Amino acid sequence: MELLRELAALQQQHGCLDDGCLEELAERRGVPRYRIEELVSFYTHLRRTPPPRREIAICRDVVCTMHGGPRLREAVAEHAVEGLEVTGVSCLGRCDHAPAVSINGQPAGRVDPANADALLDDSTVPWLTAHDRCDWLADPYASPADHYATLLALASDPPTLAGTCLERLQDSGLRGMGGAGFPTGRKWQLVATETADSKYVICNADESEPGSFKDRVLLSTVPHLVIEGMVLAGLTVGADRGILFLRHEYSLEQQVLAAALQTAAARGILGENAAGSGRSFEIEIFVSPGGYILGEETALLEALEDRRGEPRNKPPYPGQHGLFGQPTLINNVETLALAVPIIHHGSTWWSDQGRPGFDGLKFVSISGDVVEPGVYELPVGTTVAELIERAGGMDGGRSVKAFLPGGASSRFLPADRLDTPLDFDTIAAAGSMLGSGAVVVVAEGRNLFELATGLVRFFRNESCGKCVPCRIGSHRAVGLLESVAAGSAGPDVLEELTPLGDTLEQTSLCGLGQVALAPILSMLEHFPAEVPAP
Amino acid sequence: MIVDTAMVELTIDGRSVRVPVGTTIWEAAEQAGIEIPSLCHDPRLAAAGVCRMCVVDVGERVLAASCVRECSDGLEVRTDSENVQSHRRRLTGLLLSEHPTPCARETRTGDCQLEQLGRHFHLEVPPTAASSPAPPPPDLSSPVIAVDHQACILCDRCIRACNDIQSNEVIGRTGKGADVRIAFDLDRPLGQSTCVACGECAAVCPTGALVGKVLTLPVIRREDMTRTDTVCPYCGVGCAVTAWVRDETIVECEGRESPVNQGRLCVKGRYGWDYTLHPHRLTTPLIRRESAYPKGPLSPAVASSLPGDRGRKPGGVVDLDDVLPAFREATWEEALDLVGSRLTAIRDSHGSNTLAGFGSAKGSNEEAYLFQKFIRAGLGTNNVDHCTRLCHASSVAALMETIGSGAVTNIFADVARADVALVTGSNTTTNHPVAATFIKQAAKANTELIVVDVRRNAIANAASHFAQIRSGTDVAFYNGLLHVLCRDNLVDKDYIDRHTEGFESLRELVETDYSPERASAICGVPAEQIEAIARTIGKATPTGGGGSMIVFWGMGVSQHVTGTDNARCLISLCLATGNIGRPGSGLHPLRGQNNVQGASDAGLIPIVYPDYQSVANEECRRKFETAWGRPLDPEPGLTVVEIIKGALLGSIRGMYIMGENPFISDPDSNTVRQALSNLDFLAVQDIFPTETAEFADVILPASSYFEKAGTYTNSDRRVQLGRPVLAPPGLARQDWEILCEVSGRVGLDSSFTDVSAVFDEFTALTRNYQGLTHENLGLTGRLWPCPDPDTADGTQILFGDGFPTTSGRGRFVPCPYRPADELPDDDFPFILNTGRVLAHWHTGSMTRRSQALDAIEPAPFVAVHPDDLQRLKADDGQELKVTSRRGSIQLSARADRNVQPGSVFIPFHFREAAANTLTNDALDPQGKIPEFKVCAVRLEPA
Repeated sequence: MELLRELAALQQQHGCLDDGCLEELAERRGVPRYRIEELVSFYTHLRRTPPPRREIAICRDVVCTMHGGPRLREAVAEHAVEGLEVTGVSCLGRCDHAPAVSINGQPAGRVDPANADALLDDSTVPWLTAHDRCDWLADPYASPADHYATLLALASDPPTLAGTCLERLQDSGLRGMGGAGFPTGRKWQLVATETADSKYVICNADESEPGSFKDRVLLSTVPHLVIEGMVLAGLTVGADRGILFLRHEYSLEQQVLAAALQTAAARGILGENAAGSGRSFEIEIFVSPGGYILGEETALLEALEDRRGEPRNKPPYPGQHGLFGQPTLINNVETLALAVPIIHHGSTWWSDQGRPGFDGLKFVSISGDVVEPGVYELPVGTTVAELIERAGGMDGGRSVKAFLPGGASSRFLPADRLDTPLDFDTIAAAGSMLGSGAVVVVAEGRNLFELATGLVRFFRNESCGKCVPCRIGSHRAVGLLESVAAGSAGPDVLEELTPLGDTLEQTSLCGLGQVALAPILSMLEHFPAEVPAP
Repeated sequence: MIVDTAMVELTIDGRSVRVPVGTTIWEAAEQAGIEIPSLCHDPRLAAAGVCRMCVVDVGERVLAASCVRECSDGLEVRTDSENVQSHRRRLTGLLLSEHPTPCARETRTGDCQLEQLGRHFHLEVPPTAASSPAPPPPDLSSPVIAVDHQACILCDRCIRACNDIQSNEVIGRTGKGADVRIAFDLDRPLGQSTCVACGECAAVCPTGALVGKVLTLPVIRREDMTRTDTVCPYCGVGCAVTAWVRDETIVECEGRESPVNQGRLCVKGRYGWDYTLHPHRLTTPLIRRESAYPKGPLSPAVASSLPGDRGRKPGGVVDLDDVLPAFREATWEEALDLVGSRLTAIRDSHGSNTLAGFGSAKGSNEEAYLFQKFIRAGLGTNNVDHCTRLCHASSVAALMETIGSGAVTNIFADVARADVALVTGSNTTTNHPVAATFIKQAAKANTELIVVDVRRNAIANAASHFAQIRSGTDVAFYNGLLHVLCRDNLVDKDYIDRHTEGFESLRELVETDYSPERASAICGVPAEQIEAIARTIGKATPTGGGGSMIVFWGMGVSQHVTGTDNARCLISLCLATGNIGRPGSGLHPLRGQNNVQGASDAGLIPIVYPDYQSVANEECRRKFETAWGRPLDPEPGLTVVEIIKGALLGSIRGMYIMGENPFISDPDSNTVRQALSNLDFLAVQDIFPTETAEFADVILPASSYFEKAGTYTNSDRRVQLGRPVLAPPGLARQDWEILCEVSGRVGLDSSFTDVSAVFDEFTALTRNYQGLTHENLGLTGRLWPCPDPDTADGTQILFGDGFPTTSGRGRFVPCPYRPADELPDDDFPFILNTGRVLAHWHTGSMTRRSQALDAIEPAPFVAVHPDDLQRLKADDGQELKVTSRRGSIQLSARADRNVQPGSVFIPFHFREAAANTLTNDALDPQGKIPEFKVCAVRLEPA
């Protein structure tokens, strides 16, 4: 953390990390130069050359492409303004404002390509502010004064606290909301039973999946639940240090979080005697130096250890061998936030929140061709069709052609599966995955081949390059798809994609490589006619 | 029932396998004779699991990389199913799609591991790459390693080799995803990076991404070359190597598995062997022409060190063409007869003690033994010495005096078990590079490393404590440490009581006179740091044992007029803390030459016969008189510098020098030149026309290291067999044969069936080498003493229970601080320190004739602190004139923050700016070693 933080600070100070500055750093800290090169060349937000005066970054991924991202980019680039640099970047986590824009690191809202010049002057930019709506069922507190009541009620007796938390989480059946769906209670239990000198609790707030932005909204609306979840987790597993790993692009949310942490510290929730437990627990924010792959929990750990964010071979899992080799509990933002009402109300309440046959609540991001993209708190069991309804229905009254239920890494499903309830098992049974709960709706008339190619391109761009299948395979797949799109190769070359996708899934080191071809393979399965004719 | 919980049982391809917990599937399969292909895995490296070629089916959702997956009970593994094979085949195809087939490794040795896999899977024509980014151009900037990024499969082996094995920390990855490639430092060309050219990266590379450049002839398929397992010719580490030969030419040297180097090598060992094929090799006996008398220098650089000659100094080595005109070719008979008759004539008319011989620590034990026998029994004098005098004579004097043995008490690799390692006066990464890799590795693991030196050498980067002392103040510093240890009762009283004597006198001296404050005022290290280092040592070595400390030292300790005192202090430190004779502890003076230990063991020193049997001891003398059948001189002989002084004064009239080059290696070159010119007769036995040979009457062409068999004893006391790789060129003969011939010509019958018989004669006269034979040394040698050489490796740790002294106890010798002989003053305000650089060896006669090493470090330089350069109004790279009371040289400045302001450093390898023109020949009273590390000089822009 120290080295990456120092690099970020040096960049802040000098604008960029030039050779002189890095040589000096290597000398001063006694760090081998290669280690610095490994970092500055890997992380998106570290730069070797001076920044342009105005950098307008426009998302190039699926939802923003649907909403005119490429056209906006061209339109802005047409303005030959000195010191202006227009770049296409990976998903900014603001698909609800597509096409998402970031100007010198500050998020901006939707601008029509026709009005692209609005982005050239700060006074005309539609700057975004942090989301502040807060009427979630999941928040058990009526007013800020009530915050942390669940924790405070239990903290005086940490063994009881641990027992209560573990019992209620296990009874509730809560599963990890980052996408993998591992039972949360079991995870806490595993870390709690490890013996070690120190343990860590990490909140994975590196939400970077195209189509997913629910963690961003939770961070800005219920930061107290995330903090409370982390403290409960820390006291349960016996950790004294919490790290909130926040994606770089969530600068607005960072401010909200920092204020909430200050409040928590002032109220004695954090510190030497956290919530009166007699135990120490501190939380610090670590801002990601950039890259989708850091959402992979072991890549995230590598970044925290000042290395390239390349996933580790597993096992061992972080629960046994995590940050600095110590047992580490890593939970997603939503998971930690939901742990609080479960521990507060008990598992029966949780069960009651779901539709018949389902338990609990789920925060789902929806974007694409719907009228009101955003984050919705749904009873588990709500169908995709109902969600689209909640989101104001289809934009322009078009019908649904396909949808991704779990963001970029899930498989496309056709419209006939719209009645699938949003839950891990039901979506899996329908042939895709719930993932982080990021529904991207594609209307009839869209070029699915192009969108699916774009998704593969996203994984190619975000591959860390560590293992052979992902590094070369994703690159090769993009090459094949682009040659077909350009007409330089016939559709028959795509026959290679199925076995290639199989090899990526079977042999890649981490989830990124394993799913890299899922979007295109599912598209080819359900919509073979979308492949451009030679 | 006893349950062995440390084992797991699993099934691999239907076979039941039982392995210890922690074994990977790949390892378990290997043990079961099942081969799993892999590109990124190398058993010498920690597993990375990145190529995914070793995937196996363990019944999970996806396949598992067997090199990183640990075995678990009941696991059912399939390593060869059709599914697994198809994925491996596809991965191979993906890699080949970006691979320049055939790559540089395939065209040379035919063993690119990727292309081999391609053939295995019948992927002969690789699929075309789809929109691959343009590969970066090849990087040919390093003199020894060619980089082809296109052939790189990012297996990570080179990175682990560079950072984990060698701890050089140069190679990493740059970029991300499809754009990742390996990079050096901050993505510099390899030749401009901090790479030290150890070649470990190229040695582990499975493809043609990193390959050694052609140094002589290109390497070819292994089956078409001859391999010889031998030992590196350079330093005292004694790395095991394999030399590959084709067309009577060495084309490659590889590191070989051995307890010494575990396959590692440094730049000299890996790339510095081509000197043996250099056209300057002496191939016929030479006799000085009548017209070439009186004797004088022949080559320009030797001449240019004459006072008053300010001519341009050419670089490089002595050219054969400069020397040959002064000599005529002769037959061996004529040359040997002449040597014999001239030496005999001097002996008979002036007495034996007007003769002297310098042997060499580069020669074998057999050669050293024969040489000292020739001088002692043949010429009748003990005036026989060699370069140990210039390196560890003071260390040996102190060790003999205090613990009764001059050798190391433990091997360097045992640093892995040490809680604390102290490295002092040693630029280890430069002078003992492979030993340094073990020290750095230990420091990265659990060993706390303390480095004490006047320069901040690279090894200090691995240290947790670095104390930069002023030149020549070691005694004050160590007395300060001992003060704190005594004061705070951090000494091992029990050990002191049982195994030592004289502690109270040491305690009295250090407690009275060397408070940290007083020590600090002398040595310049802050008192708090002295306290902290003492506490680190004391904490790690609690009274009653348990912890451990190993101490390494080099010339920075020994080459002083207080060299013996310096070593005594280090010995006291170990005795006081009970750090001799246990795992992870001990005294290890890092030996310079490949056989400096062995040459001393074989008696190549004026005061002792083989195995340190004193010439002054009548019983010993009788023993050798009986063995050699000649009366021997009871008087100890003269040492190196005394012999040179004798030559200057005329008391030494004739000399025989084998494989040494005192003109460059000895202090005060101008005096050496006069001394050599002054000799009535000088015979030189060497492989090149050295600066010293220019003053010879007869030159005898000898064999290089790679052309002969013989044993060499490394710094660890490991006796290893060097095996001939090539035949000597022309008429050049094996050194041991030449020595037998000249011995015969001075009346000493010396005939052996072969060189192993010489070894047998030598070992029979020793205690420590008893039982060793060429045969039982095997491929990795034996540590002496070795009571059972047929079955055991020898004794690693000495003196666990007392010492070979008369009392059986180790002795504390208190040493008050004395300053260096020549301190800076207004006229000569800088302290000059001399030493070596990584790419060169001693007087450069070998390394400067190695094209790779010469390319890496082609010219002399003086390292100066940038602040001093500024004061001198000189720039980095500018020519400076450096003058001492004895001479003056000119060379370029190198800005270097690692030298202290007020000090400069000059490597002594370069004849065109010979550092020893400047050095002081003041001697340590016990070790008779000159003070190479301190003299006063003046700097000015040239």
